[in-house]
Amino acid sequence: MQALRAEFIKLKRSLSWTVVFLLPLVMVLSGAVNTLMAGEQPDDGWHTMWLRSAVFYGLFPLAVGIGILASLVWRSEHQGGNWNALMSGPTSTWRIVAAKAGSLSLLTAGMQILLLSSVAAVGKLVFGLPGMPPPDYLGITALIAVACLPVAVLQSGLSMIFRSFAVPIAVAFTGAGLAVVLLLAELPGLVWVFPYALIGRTTQLGTGTFADSGHISAVDVLTVLGASGLLTVVLLFGSVAWLERKDF
Amino acid sequence: MSFVVSTEHLSKRYGDTAVVNDLNLRIPEGCVYGFLGPNGSGKSTTMKMLLSLIRPSSGTIEIFGEPMSRHSRRRLLGSIGSLIESPPGYGHLTGAENMRVVQRLLGLSDQQIALAVDTVRLGKQMNKKVRNYSLGMKQRLGIAMALARQPRLLILDEPTNGLDPAGIDEIRQLLRRLADGGVTVMVSSHLLGEIDKTANMLGILSGGQMLFQGSREALFTASLPDLILSTPDPRHTRSLLNSAADAHIDGSAVRVSGLDSTGAAHLIRHLVNAGDEIYEARRDEQSLEDVFMHLTGGGEL
Repeated sequence: MQALRAEFIKLKRSLSWTVVFLLPLVMVLSGAVNTLMAGEQPDDGWHTMWLRSAVFYGLFPLAVGIGILASLVWRSEHQGGNWNALMSGPTSTWRIVAAKAGSLSLLTAGMQILLLSSVAAVGKLVFGLPGMPPPDYLGITALIAVACLPVAVLQSGLSMIFRSFAVPIAVAFTGAGLAVVLLLAELPGLVWVFPYALIGRTTQLGTGTFADSGHISAVDVLTVLGASGLLTVVLLFGSVAWLERKDF
Repeated sequence: MSFVVSTEHLSKRYGDTAVVNDLNLRIPEGCVYGFLGPNGSGKSTTMKMLLSLIRPSSGTIEIFGEPMSRHSRRRLLGSIGSLIESPPGYGHLTGAENMRVVQRLLGLSDQQIALAVDTVRLGKQMNKKVRNYSLGMKQRLGIAMALARQPRLLILDEPTNGLDPAGIDEIRQLLRRLADGGVTVMVSSHLLGEIDKTANMLGILSGGQMLFQGSREALFTASLPDLILSTPDPRHTRSLLNSAADAHIDGSAVRVSGLDSTGAAHLIRHLVNAGDEIYEARRDEQSLEDVFMHLTGGGEL
């Protein structure tokens, strides 16, 4: 917990906040612009609004966004003698890895909350939709945040290993590309265990797009939670093992 | 004698190259241990092995009497402050924010942080971003970070690198003060003059091997600097010395090599008795290179 608080001090004046704010907003706005350009209205109200914002966001920009955030939060550790200082202190390797992945996951969760807020704001202000988005979306937002954990841990691990800012982001791009292939192929098993596909699949929950039925079952929710938990633990262990063996 | 740091046959090889070879370090408690050697002699690698930043190829390390390994390191590192290679610090944060990161991470009190900042006299610079610090200020912030945990052992790698003479002097005094307060300090340098006056124990490394380890006095005995005599007529002075003395004329002085304290006293008495006038008799300033020449008997650096 103390290590996590230390991470949040490091986030002061960080570009990460700009990414967290801009990425979801731009996604929702571009969905709205597309709708307006086609001279349409969101026929199905909030459902259409959400579908047009979240599904594309979950296919590519979300994974790449997490990749950029991971490179941003690790960038300063690769400078000067920071690695030496971090590794020659009493803070355990486990806490170092968990604190970084934790702060990244909280930033990512913030991005999901902003996505939902942007959907609500644009829906009201641009399209004058009645009422507020159904409360279901709150649950889906929370599920997306959970589904992002494995990618956050994975990208955090890659940005820890690679000094380069761009390499881990390129991996995120490739991962997201592969995920699209898996999602289009509608392979139910693989989609749940490939972290980049897992976030794509979760953003589709309840939308009826790709392999989604349009209805969210308890099995869906439990699968997302189970797969996310398992992948997160495995990837955390992998990162800790790597750092524990690493020589500086 | 109790040693804060001791190593047995410590070695590090990369492929066929031995960067550190069969090192038996002995650092007594409460001393300032000057770790000397030219660049690339293996000083940083040795210090990194002591901190378990690098795993040794062979040999063992004991710190505070306990084996240092990947398994035990985090517990031991709580009592070891260090500054290795370039100083740490987050450029986008102020000095105060950097210290707060250390405080959170190590669970330290406000007083511990304030004390560390005071010790390196960085109080006035704490609200400035570290990106805008001079190298000397970054170096001092790094030392403050190392000191904040109030370590029993402080390991500093070339802490005077890039500092101006005033800064170097300040570090020297700081190390002296810390040692007086009971902290064991290990400090590396490639310049003898820089830590000669601060260190009371010296270890000299060359090509990964220990050439000398012991007190300053012992080093002085092992490698005697020349005695330089200023007299009105150096030629005459030279002629007064018997041919066995290893003496030659050096400008307006006579330089005598290989004399210990007793030998020097004899020689001066002899000259005075012979009626020669001696303006000045002093030991030559020794560079690390000179010491190496003596220790290696011909000087490969």
